[in-house]
Amino acid sequence: MSEPLLSLQGVSKSYPRGGFLDRMLARAKPFVALDNVSLDIHRGDVVGIVGESGSGKSTLASLAVGLIAPTAGQILLDGADLTELMRDHAGPWRRRVQMAFQDSSSALNPRKTVELCLAETLALRGVARAARRAEAHGLLALVGLGVELAPRLPHELSGGQRQRVGLARALAMQPDILFADEPVSALDVSLQAQVVNLLARLTRELGLTLVFISHDLALVRTLCSRLIVMRNGAIVEQGACRDVLDNPQHAYTRLLISAVPKGLAGRKDRPSSQNSLRGDVFEPPPTAVDHGVFTVQDLVERT
Amino acid sequence: MNHWSQALRAVDWTGWLGAAFVVLMLGSAVFAPFIAPFDPIEVRLEDRLAAPDAVHWLGTDQAGRDVFSRVIYGARASLTVGIGAVVIGALIGVSAGLFAAYKGGLGDQLVMRIIDGIAAIPLLVWAIAIVGILGVGPVQIGPVALPNEAKIVLLVGVLFSPVFGRVTYAVAQRVVRADFVKARLLQGARHRDIVLGDILPNCLSPIIVQATLLVAIGIVIEASVSFVGLGVQPPSPSWGTMLSDARSAIYSGEWWLPVFPGLAISLTVVGFNLLGDAVRDLFDPRSEARTLVA
Amino acid sequence: MSTVGTSPSATSSPLLAIEGLRVGFRAAGGGVIEAVRGVDFTVAPGEAVGIVGESGSGKSLSMLAVMRLLGSTAGITGGRITFDGRDLTALGEAEMRRLRGRDLAMVFQDPQSSLNPALTIGRQIADVVRAHRGVGQTEARRVAAEALERVGIRDAGRRLDAYPHEFSGGMRQRALIAMAIACRPRLLIADEPTTALDVTVQAQIVDLIADLRRDLGLAVVFISHNLQLVAEIVDRVVVMYGGKVVEDGPVETIERAARHPYTRLLRSCVPRLDGPVGPLATIEGTPPRLGRMPAGCPFEPRCPCREALCATEMPPLVAAEAHRLACWRPQ
Repeated sequence: MSEPLLSLQGVSKSYPRGGFLDRMLARAKPFVALDNVSLDIHRGDVVGIVGESGSGKSTLASLAVGLIAPTAGQILLDGADLTELMRDHAGPWRRRVQMAFQDSSSALNPRKTVELCLAETLALRGVARAARRAEAHGLLALVGLGVELAPRLPHELSGGQRQRVGLARALAMQPDILFADEPVSALDVSLQAQVVNLLARLTRELGLTLVFISHDLALVRTLCSRLIVMRNGAIVEQGACRDVLDNPQHAYTRLLISAVPKGLAGRKDRPSSQNSLRGDVFEPPPTAVDHGVFTVQDLVERT
Repeated sequence: MNHWSQALRAVDWTGWLGAAFVVLMLGSAVFAPFIAPFDPIEVRLEDRLAAPDAVHWLGTDQAGRDVFSRVIYGARASLTVGIGAVVIGALIGVSAGLFAAYKGGLGDQLVMRIIDGIAAIPLLVWAIAIVGILGVGPVQIGPVALPNEAKIVLLVGVLFSPVFGRVTYAVAQRVVRADFVKARLLQGARHRDIVLGDILPNCLSPIIVQATLLVAIGIVIEASVSFVGLGVQPPSPSWGTMLSDARSAIYSGEWWLPVFPGLAISLTVVGFNLLGDAVRDLFDPRSEARTLVA
Repeated sequence: MSTVGTSPSATSSPLLAIEGLRVGFRAAGGGVIEAVRGVDFTVAPGEAVGIVGESGSGKSLSMLAVMRLLGSTAGITGGRITFDGRDLTALGEAEMRRLRGRDLAMVFQDPQSSLNPALTIGRQIADVVRAHRGVGQTEARRVAAEALERVGIRDAGRRLDAYPHEFSGGMRQRALIAMAIACRPRLLIADEPTTALDVTVQAQIVDLIADLRRDLGLAVVFISHNLQLVAEIVDRVVVMYGGKVVEDGPVETIERAARHPYTRLLRSCVPRLDGPVGPLATIEGTPPRLGRMPAGCPFEPRCPCREALCATEMPPLVAAEAHRLACWRPQ
């Protein structure tokens, strides 16, 4: 295969913990959100990343799209070092990696209409003022929304509609690679299916490279060709989606598979009591966000 | 615009009442020469301490000056200080708050600690102390002579800025974390556009509420500073100096001397507060949605 | 676990009987907008019932009505709720308070906001115990420790003194369940208790509820939008849409031979690990908005099998043995 579109090489991200004094005296160990992760994503890949809170999957996404810089290791976008690229905050590379967010109510500016939201995005891609309106409407059609939603504000939309607008906004930049961070976990099941089908269609029709972050293995299975399982900031297993799910090698992958609700079938293989699922053995460690160490400084990363 | 006309219809009567008070006071200040039936400064000892009647609607003071005319002209000093100080305070405070919240790190700490420092001493104590030190009358800063009123406006404005700074900071810190800000960063939008176009608009409601409250406080400060003789200088009228002059009248029975300037202050303060509530609702994009519990 | 699909209607006296329940919101203009529009179903002692539907279907609201926890904006506008022979809608607030937490308990979606961050876990559970059992502090603490132990929190005696922030999300939900069962209620209502949790933790909590039900003889009402999840632990599933019950039956019937188009679609739009790969089934459109309920079947605008009659007339909920269905065009 040719050179990867996006390549993570030994990437780590840690956050200082404790107060100012603790840090000066190096008394508190830093919080490691991502630990020495290497990963190649090729053009046209549809990669699923699964893991629970604290597994580092969202940190990985934030690093890969250039919102935060790694503490160690290198991220290459088409061979160019992302940390170097980030020096130019508004550089042309920005367009190429985009992200769709989990919480649709936080993903859209509550004071901007759908049309304005898309138009200002198109403006940043360099679309001429006269062409923006038509293209915004085209984007709405692409994600299966009617033009009548264009003048609406986010609170006038349903969760599923907002999620699609967020998707349309990311697509407006014509990205090479799209990271979707739990894009459907806040939606009702019927809307989940709609958005997942839409993503599948976009990868087929636009040849979009997609990284789908989720905790729902069954959803990942219908959408993705590759699967990466993460836990505690590290990749514990990866491979072709079908292989990993049919023949999981790591105990944690097996645990995740066993946790998927299985309807009536689940009644049998869930002998009521104290099996390995019990207790807090697998309680995930507190996340960086819980500790309040993942702040905006990291996002606005002094450029 | 559709949203606005819809939202305006949702403003209830208290909001309109507040707006009416504020417009009334602003109108008085601007059109004072056309409204006031008498010269507010001219002394006519033969008319002194007249009770309200058909000629002097609100009576006259110890120097025979028409109280109604003085209340009308007094609106100028009060509102100038109230509104002027709020504008200056908002400019300084909101910028500082936005900067600290967006930038984070050391800049954040520095700005917020300065703000804490100013805010550590109560407003009124600051105001009276500084005016006391600088003395009454214009201040010479280089080639510019700052008139007494402008000095008070500037001073109260600076003292207001921590309030704006903190309110802005508190909201902006939350807004900055929102995913739509990340999305803008990912698009390569300029920091200035993100701060002014995405963050500031979502911080506006509490800032506006704060502004209307502070206009009211500014009016009270002006009254207090003038009351102790450090503000607007006699004979020009302000509600504070009028109250100050009316001290003796409280005992001698000329009730109209303290009541009407006091009423003017109260109505204006209440007016700005009511208006503030209405404007906050108006600026909330979800205000129509809230009328129907979903 | 009890036998799958026991028919509840066979049981002579239900623990909870909801008849013609209506719940409305006060509208801005002064009218009432109904969100629950005539709901009937029963829960037998020890039975586990799942209530399934999308957001806005009225599933949570009807159970909040049972708990009489509707708040100030909503109210019961019609119907009867009978618990253990007593009409809950007729009870005074004081009597209701005695019942709540003792015989009837509820756990909510967000364990974070359901706990007081300023009090220890033990204190919060003990407070409930003391309020209902009138026992002393030491005894209440002992009961609290026992309850925590019962929900699988290790070293419960020591964890009593922990504050909510020292617990993980899953442990907080366990603590809330401990609080709910501390007074040995007869009915536990769980409102999407796992939605905010990770999948493995979700599995643990579902296990726990199944265990508690078996060991304590609890009746359980489990509210969720995930039919697959519900099917793992309940005997019977009530499917709600647009503030009405559209189908109700033994879990096996609902899973294998559902007859309402909505139930079938709801089931097929959730992917399965053993299902086919490819596009998922979807339900086009969105649920009806409050106050804009269609005159006929609420699902008609989205229904692939609709016909003229569906738009004008609400189909009645017709019972056939243990199964009930409201549809003009059953599948």
